[in-house]
Order: sequence, then structure tokens, then C-alpha cells
Amino acid sequence: MRRFWQRLWKKSKPAGVALIVLFLLYATALLANFLSPYPYERQFREYSLCPPTRIHFIDSQGRFHLRPFVYGITVVNPAFKRYREDHTRLYPIKFFAEGRRRILGVEPPGKIFLLGTDLHGRDIFSRILHGARISLSIGLIGVSISFLLGLIIGGVSGYFGGRLDTVLMRLVEIIMTFPSFYLLLALRASFKPNISSLQLYLLIVIIMSLIGWASLARIIRGMVLSLKEEEFVMASRSLGLSTFRIITRHILPNTFSYTVTALTLSIPGYILGESTLSLLGLGIQEPYPSWGNMLSICVGNLRILTLAPWMLTPGLCIFVTVMCFNFLGDGLREVMDPRNW
Amino acid sequence: MEKTLVVKNLALAFHQERRPVTILAGVEFEISSGETLALVGESGSGKTLTALSIVKLLPPQARLETGEVRLNGQSLTSLSEREMENIRGRQVGLVFQEPSAYLNPVFTIGNQIEEAIKSSLSRKEKKERVAQMLAEVGLDEKHYWHYPHQLSGGMQQRALIAMALINHPSLLIADEPTTSLDVTTAVQIISLIKTLIKKHHLALLFISHDIALAHYFADRMAVMYAGRLVEIGPTRTVFNSPRHPYTESLIACLPEKYKPGEKIRAIPGTVPDFANLPSGCPFHPRCHRRMERCFREEPEMFPVASALVRCFLYGNSVATEPGN
Ligand SMILES: Nc1ncnc2c1ncn2[C@@H]1O[C@H](COP(=O)(O)OP(=O)(O)O)[C@@H](O)[C@H]1O
Ligand SMILES: [Mg+2]
Repeated sequence: MRRFWQRLWKKSKPAGVALIVLFLLYATALLANFLSPYPYERQFREYSLCPPTRIHFIDSQGRFHLRPFVYGITVVNPAFKRYREDHTRLYPIKFFAEGRRRILGVEPPGKIFLLGTDLHGRDIFSRILHGARISLSIGLIGVSISFLLGLIIGGVSGYFGGRLDTVLMRLVEIIMTFPSFYLLLALRASFKPNISSLQLYLLIVIIMSLIGWASLARIIRGMVLSLKEEEFVMASRSLGLSTFRIITRHILPNTFSYTVTALTLSIPGYILGESTLSLLGLGIQEPYPSWGNMLSICVGNLRILTLAPWMLTPGLCIFVTVMCFNFLGDGLREVMDPRNW
Repeated sequence: MEKTLVVKNLALAFHQERRPVTILAGVEFEISSGETLALVGESGSGKTLTALSIVKLLPPQARLETGEVRLNGQSLTSLSEREMENIRGRQVGLVFQEPSAYLNPVFTIGNQIEEAIKSSLSRKEKKERVAQMLAEVGLDEKHYWHYPHQLSGGMQQRALIAMALINHPSLLIADEPTTSLDVTTAVQIISLIKTLIKKHHLALLFISHDIALAHYFADRMAVMYAGRLVEIGPTRTVFNSPRHPYTESLIACLPEKYKPGEKIRAIPGTVPDFANLPSGCPFHPRCHRRMERCFREEPEMFPVASALVRCFLYGNSVATEPGN
């Protein structure tokens, strides 16, 4: 692990940074309950579309506070969503302010909305942390499934060739002609509209990975086709290794520098796929947040955008994540192949 | 003495689009344990295919037509692929010409040697065995963690030898193990192989296109031309008094046989194409002692002194004065 990190850092600084950022993102997703100040579904009706709360060290009298604090929020105009800081009320930020299970918070009735609130007055920061669970895991799970299928089917097809190869490759071609997004829409439509978010999540992952393996399998098949002619395969055969072992232990690992890169680069597809679906209102359902459905509220609503631009932060998160995976993928291409060290 | 390897009447053909092309015909030899047999011949004469036939690792179009291979008394001819997998590695190890290509580029040397171990040992025991093997082939313990491309050709070949011998087989087949190495490294590898076969009392089939190298360390020598053995016998006999005209010219062409300033000779003509072998004795177009019947009939092996020679000069007819 340490060697891996050293190589990655040596080969590509952006990839190293990307890896760190991704690590932090995944860690926050895992710890969402702990890190978020409020439950994701908690509504503060009177504070709808409240801008991000500012954190202060120096109060209106110019005194310095070692412990950062926030001011109370006064509703100036509930119709036009105008809010003002109330400099008379001062709430220090505390650990475990709201019970034992949340690390960050302020004593009620103080409020802390680090990234503002949405239309229903829900804390966007808390929702982004919870939404990260969906958006970040959907890619990993999807990619694991298509990786497994792609490796097995591509490996078998390439190594054995013949009729099996023909059948499998026709199957791959058929699958590759499916426009995956429309298939997703069609399948979504064929289920009852009120299926649970978890079911929907699984549906999205499975459909996307069942389509995603095909192109991977085809490339792996091509690589195996040429790899099996390599002398080192002959060497393993001369050592009496079984075919299964030769494929899994000797041939497929030689495709990893490609596959790992390809997979890293395909993770954003899943994230964006879920977002797009949610954007169309077909993805993860409210009140459960995903980055996609948090953005979907903003679509076609210019007034919200001008009034509350902080509602776009889930989009920023998607952008950062996708970029990180791209940088990481580029870096891995170099690092996965021992010949480049 | 007990024979480790017995090869009898081996014939191999390639079945391609049109008619089958015969490559090997009537190949026969034996190797006792502790003995080294060198198989020499020009490139393309069928040496590698002979080696691969023994362990049945042939290209898909190649088929064994006749013949039997016995290893430690067991006939391999009728064994299934599964059963052959058990034989390979355990009873026979192979070392090849181009060490860099025969190592898997994405695994460390130690990993690959360990992977070759076929007996079920604990991780720790395997590690110890690999370490011991590394030492035996003259590699350092640190090479366990090295990748193939980080080693020199000579060290790569040592690693391959370690892999071939890790299960203590009784037969080692070395197919031109030093051809791709420079001279000093080649000498080191040769002496390593010599040490190892002596230590483990291995039977060795040493394949080389270089008759001088083969002479330097084989007990017996077999000369192959166009997929046929043309002469086989004790190294001294074959090298010092070659009987077959082909062997004779091979030895005559060796650089060390020249006096300074003398012109370099080569065997006239070229290696025949297997699809259109000359009639009769395949060597006759290049032979300086051919007789009339060489155009029509293919000779069998005739005993001469302690050797066997495939040439009409030595049997099957009234000894007529050889001429053109
Ligand atoms: N895969 C193959 N397909 C067709 N012909 C082959 C193949 N491999 C070898 N041959 C033929 O067999 C002959 C002997 O090859 P080989 O045993 O490799 O010779 P050597 O090892 O003595 O140089 C070659 O000259 C070639 O014509
Ligand atoms: Mg060869």
C-alpha cells in the first residue's frame, strides 16, 4: 500500500491529490451521520432558502472569541426569503451540541447551515453528506459488478476461443447496441412508480453494470487473445498449471493496468447516470437525498438559482468527484504496470 | 541403468489448410538419469518441436502421428491433458531460449517461483523453499521482490531455472538456454546447469544449434536435420569422428577449426522447406558424398562404432566407393 502510494505520487501529483480528495469524500460519506449537524430530513420551515451561515471569531463589539460562533438568524421577509444575522444572539459552535451522536453543532435555538438550506428549510450540508452515500457508492458497486462479469466473460472468451467465443461476443455486441440510458428509462417505467429508494438504487446499479460489462469484456477478450500467445503463458503451461489458474493468475493480471484505469474512468458514468435520472425525477426519491435529486429541484427554476445559488453545491460535488476519478484513472494507467516503475 | 526418458519413433505433422506437413519423423532417443543428451541442428530443424512433443505442449495445428514417450517408466502418450498437467513441473521442467519473454511481467520473481510449487505447503514453507531455490541458482534473496524487467538476462534465466526445478523433476529440458545471452553470461548459466544436474542427478535434454557448446558438456549427442535424427552417439565419438556428412560439415564449419586467414566455409545450399522435402535422403541436395540411391530412398539408422548414423555410407548395401 505504501509502495503503491509512493509510486502514484511520483508518477502523477494530480492523481495523488485526487486520491486524497476521494478518500476524504468517501470517509465523510461513511461518517455522514456523525459529521452532519442535522438529520437529512429535518425541516426548518421558517428558514427555507436560508443562505449559508457565516462563522465568526470576532463579534460586533470587536471582541475576539477563541471558540468560533454563529449569530442567530432573524427572518426579515418570509415571502422573499430575506434573512439577517441577529448580532444580539450569539451561539458558539460546540462539539456534541445536539446530543452525543453529532460532532458538530450549536445549542438550539441557534442554527448552523454551513451550505444554506433548501426550499423546505433542510440543511444542505447534512444532505450532501448523506447524498454522498448514494452518489459515491453507486459507481463502486456498479463497477465491481461489471468488472467481475467483464473479466470472467472476456477471459473465457479470449482464452478458449472457438464457438463459445463467437456466442459470447455476439451477446456482447447485442448488449452494446442497447442505448443504456433509454433502457434505464424504460425499465424504470415498467416498475411501479412508488418503489422504494433502495430498490431503485439497486435497479439503477444493476442495469448500468449489466450493460457496462460488455465493452470491458470485449476489450479484455482482445487482450487475452494476444496475451495467451505470449511465451510466459507457455512457461506456466510447462510448469503444469491448470487452465483456470493460468487465466486467473497469469493472463488476467496482465490486463489490470488497462482494466483498473478503464474502470476508474467509468465510475463517473454511474454517478452522472444516477444524477441525470434523478434530475428527471426518476432517481432516488425524496426525502432521501442524492446529489442528483438535490440538483433536480434547481432545474428550470431560475428564481431559485438567483435567490439561492448555494443550492448548486451538489453539482460542485459531482464535478469534483468526477474530475478526481479522471485524474486518478490517468495516474493509475502509469502505476499499474510494473514495467513503468 | 534406468532410463529417465525414452522417446520412440516420434512423428509429428502440421495439419493446415491443405495437406499435412510432416516435420518430425522417426525421432528416437533415450536419456538415463544423470545423463545429458544434446540435441543439435540448424534453426528450424525441429528441435523445439521435439522438446514440446515430449511434454505435449504443441501448437494447436500440430499432431503427433506416431511414437511413444516414456518418462520414468510411464507412458505419456495416452495421458489426458489433466494428467499431463500433473507430470509437467513435477517430473519434467523446461527452460527456454528467451528468458525475458518467459517470465510474467507483472509479478515479482519470488511470486512466480512460489506459484510454480505444486506440493501443498504452508505459506512459510513455500517461502523457505523459494529462498533455498534462489540461493541454489545463484540469485540473491532480495531478488524475490524484483520484477522481471529489473533483472538482467542472465538473472532472468536463473529465475526460470529455479521455476523449472522447484518441484525437483527428474528431467530438465533446456531449449537453447543461452542463445539469447552474451558469452560470459552464457558460460555462467551453462556451469550453473552443470552443477545443478550433478547435484540433483537430473537427466538433461540440452537443445542447441551450437555443436561446439553441446560438445563441451553433453554425455551424448544427437544431430537433427530436417526433423530427422541423422546421428546419435557418445559425444566424443560423434564430435571427434563424425560419420554423417551433415555432422561432418557442421563440425568443419566451426570457427575454431580455421587457421588464421583461411576462408570461412558454410554448408552449401539451404535448409529444406518442410512442405517440399527432397525425395530420398532429405540431406542429399547439400551432401558432398551423395550416391545415386540417396535420391530415391531414405536411409534408416545404421550402427557405426558406438553411434547410430542415418546414411547409406554405413549399411544396407555393398560398400561402394562414395562419389557423385
Ligand atoms: N506453429 C507452427 N506452425 C507451422 N509450422 C511450424 C510452427 N512451429 C514450427 N513450425 C515448423 O517446424 C519447423 C521446426 O521448428 P522448431 O522445432 O521450432 O525448430 P528449431 O527449434 O530446431 O529451430 C520450423 O522450421 C517450422 O517450419
Ligand atoms: Mg527452437
